[in-house]
This record gives sequence, C-alpha cells and structure tokens, in this order.
Amino acid sequence: MQSVPGGGGEIVSGKFFNGGIYPMKKKVLSIILVSAMAAGVLAGCGSSASTSSSSKSSSASSGSASSSGKDYEDCTIKFDWWGGDTRHEATQNAVKAFEEKYPGIKVDVNFGAWTDWETAKAMEYQSGTNPDVQQTNFDWIGKYDADGSTYLDLNTVSDTIDLTQWTDDELNMCKDSKGGIAGIPVANTGRLFYWNKATWEKAGLDLPKSVDDLLAAGPVFKEKLGDDYYPLVVGSYDRAILMTYYLQKEVGTPIIDENNKLTYSQDQIKQGVDFIQKLEDNHVIPTIEYTDGEGVDSMDKSARFIDGHYAGIFEWDTAAPKYVAALGDAASDFVVGGELDGLQSYSKVSLMFSISAKTKHPHESALLLNYLLNDPDGVKAMGTERGIPNSQTAYDTLNSAGAIDQMSIDAHNAVSDSNPFYWNPLFDDATMKGDSGTAYYDAFVNLSYKKIDTAKAAETLYNAYAAICS
Amino acid sequence: MAKVNASVAETPEEIKRISEQQHRILVRNQRISATIRYIVLIVVGFFMVYPLIWMVGATFKTNNEIFTTLNPIPMHPTTKGYVDAMKSYGGNINIWRSMLNTYSYVIPEVILTVISSTLTAYGFARFKFKGHDIFFTLMMAMLFLPQVVLNVPQYLLYNKFGWVDSPLYLALIVPAAFATETYFIFMLIQFLRNIPKDMEEAAAIDGCNAMQTLLKIIVPMLMPAIVSCALFKFMWGSNNFLGPLLYVKTPAKYPATIFVKLSMDSDSGFNWNRVLATSLISIIPNICVFFAAQNQFVDGISAGGVKG
Repeated sequence: MQSVPGGGGEIVSGKFFNGGIYPMKKKVLSIILVSAMAAGVLAGCGSSASTSSSSKSSSASSGSASSSGKDYEDCTIKFDWWGGDTRHEATQNAVKAFEEKYPGIKVDVNFGAWTDWETAKAMEYQSGTNPDVQQTNFDWIGKYDADGSTYLDLNTVSDTIDLTQWTDDELNMCKDSKGGIAGIPVANTGRLFYWNKATWEKAGLDLPKSVDDLLAAGPVFKEKLGDDYYPLVVGSYDRAILMTYYLQKEVGTPIIDENNKLTYSQDQIKQGVDFIQKLEDNHVIPTIEYTDGEGVDSMDKSARFIDGHYAGIFEWDTAAPKYVAALGDAASDFVVGGELDGLQSYSKVSLMFSISAKTKHPHESALLLNYLLNDPDGVKAMGTERGIPNSQTAYDTLNSAGAIDQMSIDAHNAVSDSNPFYWNPLFDDATMKGDSGTAYYDAFVNLSYKKIDTAKAAETLYNAYAAICS
Repeated sequence: MAKVNASVAETPEEIKRISEQQHRILVRNQRISATIRYIVLIVVGFFMVYPLIWMVGATFKTNNEIFTTLNPIPMHPTTKGYVDAMKSYGGNINIWRSMLNTYSYVIPEVILTVISSTLTAYGFARFKFKGHDIFFTLMMAMLFLPQVVLNVPQYLLYNKFGWVDSPLYLALIVPAAFATETYFIFMLIQFLRNIPKDMEEAAAIDGCNAMQTLLKIIVPMLMPAIVSCALFKFMWGSNNFLGPLLYVKTPAKYPATIFVKLSMDSDSGFNWNRVLATSLISIIPNICVFFAAQNQFVDGISAGGVKG
C-alpha cells in the first residue's frame, strides 16, 4: 500500500508532487516537442531523400537517353525473387551478365527464402512499392492482381520479350481478369511417383505400372518385409492431389475448370476419398498418425524414407534433387516412376516472372526478362534453378549444353508425357491447403485418424470446394 | 541415558569427540544430499543442453546423418557447413557483414528502448496527471495486441515516411524511441512500485527536480530491471525476422536472421549443416552478452515479478 500513489503518507508525497509537477510539466512538454520535431525532421529527411533519389534517376535516364543511340534508357530497375542458395547465386550471375550486356541499366536485386516472403510482398502490393521485375507465384494473379492493375500486361512489351517461345496454352494460363498476360510461366510442374527401387526388389516386386499394382503391393510389403514397410507415403495435401488424379481419370474432367467451376458431385468426391482410404486399408500408405509420429514436415528429413522403409513418394517433378541429396549413398536406388494406369495428372505453372504495372521502365524491365528467359547467355546462367524452362529456345540451349540432369529430364518428361489436365489455382486456395482448419487437412487427417468416415470427409471437401468455386 | 549423557559431557575431550562425530555425520549427510542434488541437476541439465550439443555436432554432419541419428558425435565429420557458411552472396553479404548489420540497429534500438521505457514507466508510476488511468489502460491494451495486426498499418505509415529500405534502418530503430515495448514499461512500473518513495522525497527536499530524481535516485535502484529490459530487447531485436524482412530490401543490408534463412529453400532442399553453422556463429555474441549480464538479469526478472 505504501508504494501505491495516493496511499499512505499522502501529505509528504503530495508536497513532493506539488513541488515537482510544474518543472515536470515543462519538461514533459519540451520532451514531447523535441520528439515531435525529431520525428518530423526524420520523416522529412526520409521522404525528401527518396524523392531526390528518384528525381536523380529520372534526370540521369533522360540525360543519357538523348546522348547515346541505344534503344534503352539508362536507369535502375528493381528485381526480386525467393529461393535457395543455388538459385540466388545463378540469378545474381545472370543479372551481372545482363548489366554487362546492357551498360547503363543497373539492376537492384533483393532475394530471400520463401518463409514469410509472401507476407512482405503482400504489403508491397498494398502500398504500391513492388519492384519493377518480380518472381511471382501463379496464384498471386488471383490474389493481388484481381483487377489486372498490379502486373503489366506483357502483350504491351511483346516487341521486347519474345513471347513466341511459349505456347499459347502456357501463356493463356497466366491471363488476368482483363485478358492481359500477367506473368511469364517460367516452368511447369506436376506430381509423379518416385520409387526406392531397392525396397521394391527386396519385396520381390516390379515397380508398379497401375493403381492395381500399387494396391496389390501393400499386402506383399507387409508380409515379406514387415509392418513398418510401405510402398508409398503421402501427407494430407499429397492425398488431395492423388485423389484428384484418380478422379480426373474416373470422371474425365479437371476438378475445377477454367471457369472456376467445380466439375464433380459430392458422390464422385466420395469415390476419390474411398480410393485414398483403400490405399490405407491395403497397407499401401501408412496412416497420418504413423507418419506424424516421426515429426518431420517433409520426407527428405524422414529416417524411415532415407533408410528405405517408405518405398515411394508422390512429389513434384522438380523436387528430385532434394531427395537425391537426402538419400546420400542410396541415391542410385531412387528412380522416377512412370505414369500409373488409373490416374490422370495435371500440371501447373511452378512460378512466373512479372513486371509491375507501375514501373517507369517497362522496356528495360522487359529487356531483363527476355535476357533471363530467352537469351542463350542468360539462360545458361539461370540454368534449371526454376525448373525445366518452358521457353523453347531456353530448353534447347540448356539441353544441347547438357545442363539439365537426367533425372530432372525424366521426371519432367514423365509429367508432360502424361497429357496433364488444366489446373486451377483455386485448388490451392488458403481455405483448402494448409494446417488445421483447412479442408484437405481436416478431411484427410481426421479420416486417417478415424475420427470421421469417408462420407463425412467427402462432405467436408465438397462444401469447401463449393464455397470457393462459382 | 542420563548417566551416559552426564559421562559424555564430563571431559572436554569427550565433548570434542562427540561434536566431531556429530560434525562428521552432518558433513556426510550434506555430501549425500549434495551428490543427489548434483546427480539430479546433471541429468536434467543434460537433457536441457542436449539439443545445443546436438546442434554443435550436427554442424559437422551431412543431411543424411542429421536425420537418421540422434548421436551428437558425427560419424563422418565434415567442415563443409562452416566453409559454406563463410560464402558470400554475390559479394554483397556474408555472415560477418550480416552480424554487423544486426548490431548496427539492435544496439540503438536497445538504448532508445531503455531510455523511452524508463521515462514512460517513471511517469506512470510516480505522477498523477490528467488521463493517467486512461493512458495506462490503453498501454496495457497495447500489451495484448499481437504484432501481426500492426504490420500492415505500420508498413503503410513507414512507407509514407520513406523509411522502407532506409540504409539507416529507420523503420526498425525510430519506433524504439517512443516506448513501443509496453511489456518493459509494465515491468518497470511493477519494479518501481516496490521501491519506497522515501529516498525520492529526501532528494526532493534536497532540491532535486523530477529529472534529477530519476537519474540520480531511481535509475540506480532500477538498474537490475533496466538490464533485464536491455537484455530482452537485445535478444528480441537480434532474433527479429519479420521486421527486417519487411523493411530491408537491399541484400548488403541484411541482418543475420535473414542471412541464416537465405539458403533455406524447402522446394529444392538445402544443407542443414550450413544453416546450423551460420546460426551457431551468429548466436555467439548473444550468448556472450547474456552470460556477462546474467546475474543482473536474473535479479531483474525475479525482483520485477515479486509484489508484496
């Protein structure tokens, strides 16, 4: 009580307050004034600095454009991407080569890991500070470019970027609501099976060629190798894709079509869920409870995968290198599985490059993109860091230079040979894909934990699709 | 019994012998108790330190070994993690530069936070002014506001000020000058409540004004709590990932938190030994600072928490 203001000893403390309050008020006032002033000065500094720098760059660009005969202006363009070590290195080298080829254009790069990258980009879009050239995700068109005002329509710079290197199908996928091309699809990717040959041999089986082979393999694994050996391991999102592959074969249409329409009925989705349940019942895939027990978020960190207890994964065609690296000495047993009878694949744009609609230098930005994606030097520097390129000339350049490893080519061809269906980014909507509370998680995890039956799981999925599809 | 006791106490030698015997029993009991305590401490301590030991071991392992064994001692040791950790990204940024970057904004942040939080806490704890209760309530409400909801409005505001990608890290440093760490204010107020006012009153009688009282009387007494605030801010500041990610857009200016993450791409996979080696190197200054200020730090937290 003693120490609480207004408690005991009021007279003394009152005296103290009365004595101290006037100078204090002044002090507080002066501190507030000083800090307000400081804030003002700092804010002023910041904004004036930025305006002066921008005016500098524009004056510099206008100055040199008139003086030289180049078909581009001297300027600074900003370029950012996410990725890992090798991608950072390759892209920086490509950018350096670009700056040498086009002296006067300076490229300010910014790069990082995927973690929280989208958070940072979302804020840039909100405040209109996104860089001139950007590596973008396929679903960002719908998220951040809904009105077509975020990304430049690349048709407007088609004299600089050679768009003929991409097929119309590929470019059409990246159209925004106004019909403009919002981004260039750098590479396409799809899912396929990778097998651990050694484990299959140990079970005395050939690699599966159809869904029936896979279903038949489960009991054999259990009997010959033991309860803890499985032909395949899949998480909740993998199950959603596998179910879609199965249903696309059964029904014959993409799950969500170009018009954002769900093409399956609830009964059909239940068939797909039943198929996944059958895989689990037949000892083809372990329960999610069993895989959760190991506590790893992807199979390249799983001891059971690395030592061959899981004899197969269902992964992107671009994912092979990470599993090969994880397997170490056993990497030679890791092989690309062909298309399985009874499944119909889809492929999607793995990532794009876009130009900001607000850029002051669309031509120079397009020059950069064309260099990175079509110019032989740029293509060689970029390598296959963003997957096997869709650009025809880039593919030819890399292929003839032997710059694509055999496994990546095999995986890529396995996907493209399977005549993949169209894929709608709504499939990965934030309400569908993610942790607890999203449809794939709730349906497949709860099903695998036997908290719900297949009818309930199908209902969960159907309602979630119905909510996002028109 | 009485006879025995009487005979025991008869000669000084006997008394000495008995007391020595009792002393020996006492010492033995103490030893047993100490041994048991130390065994328990060592066992528990081992479990707590094990992840750190494992991490040090893992910096010398390959991915394959990291995920297949719990043994902290690498069977096929490799120094590739450390060699890779020293690599720079396009000559713009390397681990030393990134650590320097971190401290170039963390240290000003710490200083400004300490000054502004102490001033604010002093104001709330010792002065009754108009709106005191409302402001205090507002401040407490801020304590429960998660940073996530502040990100967007803050970003838009700092963008207007031109602080995004500021080479001086203005967006990270300047807010610290305005007592934005409400937790520290709260902690300091709690601490101040335990400090009797007598000394301040004596100082007032001797002619100190409010500012002098703060500097000469309160701050020395508050020191343990202030050190805790500084240490907390130091740790939070150097572990801050999202802040720099939002406000630093130039690779040469990346702090260590971003640098460590740069190579972590889950799509293509990465070498964990490199990530662990970079993390290990970058936390060394933090560990040193913590140990240097450990005693004050522990005092500060416990003293702030006790309220009579």
